[in-house]
Amino acid sequence: MSKPVLTVRNLRVSIRSQDKGAMAVDGVSFALRQGEVLAVVGESGCGKTKTAESILGLLPTDTWDVQAEAIELDGVSLPMQSERKMRKIRGREISMIFQEPQTALDPVFTIGNQLCSIYRRHRNKNRKEATLAALDKLQQVGFADPRRILHSYAHQLSGGMRQRVMITMAMACRPRVLIADEPTTALDVTTQAQVLSRMTLLGREFGTSILLITHDLGIVAQYCDRVLVMHDGRIVEKATVHELFTDPQQPYTRRLLAAVPKVRTA
Amino acid sequence: MRGADRNLLSVRGLVVRYPAGVQSNAPLTAVRGVDLDIPQEGIYGLVGESGSGKSSLAHAILQLNPVAAGQALWHGQDLVSMKGSQLRSARKKIQLVFQDPLASLSPRRSILQTLVEPLDHFGIGQAGTGKAGRREEQASAALETVGLSPDLRHRYPSELSGGQRQRVALARALITEPELIIADEPVSSLDVSVQARIIELILELREKLGIAFLFVSHDLAVVGQLADTVGVMYLGKIVEQGAAEDVFARPAHPYTRALLAAVPVPDPDHPRPEVLKGEPPSPLTPPSGCVFHKRCPEPITPCSTVVPTETSLGGRNFSTVETRDSQITDHRVRCHLWDSTKN
Repeated sequence: MSKPVLTVRNLRVSIRSQDKGAMAVDGVSFALRQGEVLAVVGESGCGKTKTAESILGLLPTDTWDVQAEAIELDGVSLPMQSERKMRKIRGREISMIFQEPQTALDPVFTIGNQLCSIYRRHRNKNRKEATLAALDKLQQVGFADPRRILHSYAHQLSGGMRQRVMITMAMACRPRVLIADEPTTALDVTTQAQVLSRMTLLGREFGTSILLITHDLGIVAQYCDRVLVMHDGRIVEKATVHELFTDPQQPYTRRLLAAVPKVRTA
Repeated sequence: MRGADRNLLSVRGLVVRYPAGVQSNAPLTAVRGVDLDIPQEGIYGLVGESGSGKSSLAHAILQLNPVAAGQALWHGQDLVSMKGSQLRSARKKIQLVFQDPLASLSPRRSILQTLVEPLDHFGIGQAGTGKAGRREEQASAALETVGLSPDLRHRYPSELSGGQRQRVALARALITEPELIIADEPVSSLDVSVQARIIELILELREKLGIAFLFVSHDLAVVGQLADTVGVMYLGKIVEQGAAEDVFARPAHPYTRALLAAVPVPDPDHPRPEVLKGEPPSPLTPPSGCVFHKRCPEPITPCSTVVPTETSLGGRNFSTVETRDSQITDHRVRCHLWDSTKN
């Protein structure tokens, strides 16, 4: 078994203002192994997004109380890092893509501008090298005309194109870990297949471990290796994808599986 | 036309064209000649990718979008040319439910205020003493119909969950006692378990109140769970339509097959979804011939030049409600691969 890249032990997240309020995340522990795609499934409000955000230290500390025995990337404790250090880790070591790429991309800068700034900031490339790297990566995520994409603004692209741009940005530094939070929920099925296959392909090429947050068990079955089922801030079941679908242990997991609509094909 | 009177809504050759504007300096044709029929108590599932024109079509039926040509016959009368009080009374019987209830419900109105507004707007129920009380009873009844507690009537949308909000949106549509509800992606923003319950509710409303639905969705699995008839839209045209059983069991158009193949199956032993090549073309510059030919996995000679006409693949006997007369829904496809089956 390969060793864990990311380790989370007993993560607890709650809103500060509520003195005895519900825990958004209540004692979550897991390990993300080298090169695997680990799914986190559950319904909205189960704490899957809050888990991801607390790993990256994205929750404002004045409203959220984040406690953990350990959040470690390759043995380095993330909560111990200064904000300055964290800014370097985000994007270079761990990157994240969100459900709605429209809100994650800056509307007033071109895609090229945003994409190249990553190469210039994190990889010390000059303007020309950065442009070439950006063109190359855009081609890898399946753009037929990457030069046109570089000169486009976010609003000129379709949802699927924007999400592939986000993947390009997130994978620009060949991160150790990619956290993808419902990356295809806003997309059509055809585009979804395109985005997920490009993402997992790039992950394999770069050896990036992927934490894929989703509510779609079809995606879990087809693109992931292992799965964590979350409910009410807790992990209720941990299994390989094969185990989960052949022999679900928990009643909650069985209920989730039963709710999946199936396409009626012959 | 035989059986036309049995159709609640018959759309014929509908074209929706947006005038030139900020985004483009040429008019954009979003719907290019669509025919569809919705019988009483029928559920028509309209599927397609974003940008295929399915919402443009659904909204144009109520004159919410500019119709350039064609008709939408409601009980045999054309909705497109209706005006004034006639249009108003038709709209009372055709209600809309949108994808995002947080956007379609006013955040500053209580659920009661939202539910009562259509009654005031259409002048339903008598004025005079005790009006407010009766209105409140009607609102409570509507909430109960959609499976919500009447106690929620004093709440605001922000205090409800996504599933509850979508139920309120349905209650708001139901309160005018419509015959047809046009539901535009009503479950797309909901979790699967909540989705399943809303789908059950829609089927129940059809069963109990006899309401027909035009159900617009990009999710084939969802449409497959409730529609009797399915139409698959691509770049403004319905490329395949027929009884849901037929379309799902024997998809004829390569685009329908691609859509079905792209759905991830919750079974790890199943092969991964196939990826359709390319991007959907822009409706400003539609490809020549068959609009799908550039992405089609099996193009043949005439595809790039000749626009395919509709071919009938034969009908099937089906009945949406057991007590009603069965009727034939023809399985039709627009694709050159089926030209040889043409008579």
